[in-house]
Amino acid sequence: MNGHRLSPRTALVRATWLLPPLGSAILAALATGGRFDARFWIITGSTAAAFLVVLAIALVRLRTTRYRLTGEAVEMSWRLFGRRERSVPLDRVRYADITAGPLHRVLGIAVLRIGTAGSGELVLDALPAAEARELRSRLSASGSGGIHSVLSTMDVRWLRYAPLTFWAFGGLGIAVGSLYRVLDSVGIEPWRLPLVRGAFEEFGKSALWLTVPLLILAVVLLGALGATAMYVENWWHFRLAWSDRDELSVRRGLFTTRSVTMERRRLRGAELAEPLLLRAGGGAMVRAVAGGLGDAEETRSRSRILPPAPRAESVSVAARVSGATPGTLSAPDLIAHPRAAFSRRLRRGLFFAVLPGTAAFAVAAVLFGPSWFHGAWIWSLASLPATWWLAADAHRSLGHAVEGHHLLIRSGTFSRDTVALDRDAVLAWTFTSSPFGRRAGLVGLTAAVAAGRHGYRIPDMAADEAIGFAEGAAPGILAEFLVWPEEPPSPQETAASQRPGAETSRVTGHVGQQAIGPTSRR
Amino acid sequence: MTAPPVVRLRPPRFRVDPRARRWWTVQALVVFSGPALLAACTLLVLSVLFFPGALPWLAPLLAITCVIPGLAYLIAMPRLRYRVHAWELGEDALYAASGWWWRKHRITPLSRVQTVDTVQGPIQRAFGLASVTMTTASTAAQVTVAGLSRADAEQLAARIGESARLERRDAA
Repeated sequence: MNGHRLSPRTALVRATWLLPPLGSAILAALATGGRFDARFWIITGSTAAAFLVVLAIALVRLRTTRYRLTGEAVEMSWRLFGRRERSVPLDRVRYADITAGPLHRVLGIAVLRIGTAGSGELVLDALPAAEARELRSRLSASGSGGIHSVLSTMDVRWLRYAPLTFWAFGGLGIAVGSLYRVLDSVGIEPWRLPLVRGAFEEFGKSALWLTVPLLILAVVLLGALGATAMYVENWWHFRLAWSDRDELSVRRGLFTTRSVTMERRRLRGAELAEPLLLRAGGGAMVRAVAGGLGDAEETRSRSRILPPAPRAESVSVAARVSGATPGTLSAPDLIAHPRAAFSRRLRRGLFFAVLPGTAAFAVAAVLFGPSWFHGAWIWSLASLPATWWLAADAHRSLGHAVEGHHLLIRSGTFSRDTVALDRDAVLAWTFTSSPFGRRAGLVGLTAAVAAGRHGYRIPDMAADEAIGFAEGAAPGILAEFLVWPEEPPSPQETAASQRPGAETSRVTGHVGQQAIGPTSRR
Repeated sequence: MTAPPVVRLRPPRFRVDPRARRWWTVQALVVFSGPALLAACTLLVLSVLFFPGALPWLAPLLAITCVIPGLAYLIAMPRLRYRVHAWELGEDALYAASGWWWRKHRITPLSRVQTVDTVQGPIQRAFGLASVTMTTASTAAQVTVAGLSRADAEQLAARIGESARLERRDAA
């Protein structure tokens, strides 16, 4: 196939494959003072060889790759142990994202990912940046055409929400973990290093009442710093806008720039996410409920359309993306769930948090001495109110409603998520119940949509109400399997119903071949 | 106490093939009960042969962790499943009930069908059974009717395909 080639500068990015083995060799040299044992040579040698093979394959692929855009399709071919070709019709193109890491930017190149309906991604890695932008604008389904209206842009003051995200805790752990792994892979056990041992011995000798709080403070500060850095890297230059072609476009990133576009006709709603800490700080983030963004993992990262930001901003963005009114999202008028839903949450908390901790301390007391009993009662005293509060909050969060064209669902306490779904987008209904839930008169209702997380669940709603609610929210799906009390009342009156599976009369035994359901349409 | 008259969802009309109970029993044996019981037996025999002193605490421990759950699952799961599993192909939608602990009732309109698959696993084949899976654009709307006789399954799949085509024509 004739066509354009990838940028030869990409070879330099490919060569960074060699940095990890090189780096670990240098680290090992520094740590051991230049004395290498056999294990070091074997590990470094084999990793270097493996990386060289990978590099060689990547370079062959880079040199032989050709791509072109014809009237109907994007085509790409490369040669590696034979010739491969892929062609994606333009009407199957769902998105085109440009990403560029720091090195890519220095070299003036960018990676173009073309997402397709059903057959994965076509990745052009990498093109000259201008060429990538031009190609994207020519791909019919994406294109960063003109900006019609800007919905939101990054505000420096939003950075105050960064320490309230997961990265404040997780980031530090991940950093320490990967450092340990790197050291371990070159044969250094950090616990043996004189520096580390010395620090620990000193720590034990010093005044604990001072050093422990200081250590905690240091960890918190480091975590906050790391989280802020992550926020800046992910969300700097953030801009959310409607394009001329009726697409929602998200552009973000400091060193690695990402840009995602979603077609308006594949947008099915929006989700306001309020993780516990962020909620306490008055912030929230927004995810789009959009189809055609790739597999579950890709959808999760691509559907983020607003970083942790003030709640008012999040509500406004979610409302404008979903078409619901801001009032419905910020203080929705939801149908509360029965008291039994609170008891379930409380029991879960007792069973999974209070009980295991107390039991662990009790076992320790039997094994190591009675002083551990103090741990048992302190744990139960501390965790009981916390469990109670979390269960009450989870119950308060629960709610559902039909509001104009939208189905509203709110649930969760560790992350309180309010989702506004387009009622027309509901594909199917699923009712789920466990024996405990059935005894308490509760049932879970899941709305299936071909977008976002696919299943949006209303947990633990009153079983009496669930069926009428489902039929009212997306009329017609259940219609032929319903049993009305006397005569079908108007849809507004169908607020209550009974749980599924309560009916007793049914055909039993083997079904003859001629009796496959009342399906004849003639 | 008088409950207000409410709209109810009736269960699907047809049960699955009775042979499905045997299929689920074999499944339970292969997946959980078999390994659990086997592990318990092995440990007990080893204990009797080499560490008779451990029996007083090992036997009750194994009974609680392996033998009772294994037997309970083996006996209860297929019966409960057979009581719950049911299906019905309506005018506009496929309705299926499944599960044994968690019960799931799912209704998916035929107008949304993308593919219909008939699948026969090795154990299902031995019992002359098959499953029909109807997929849509949403993974949360996929319906599987498991444990039908082969003929029923083929006919159901054909009917779903036919109804979906008719629905499409109506919609067009």
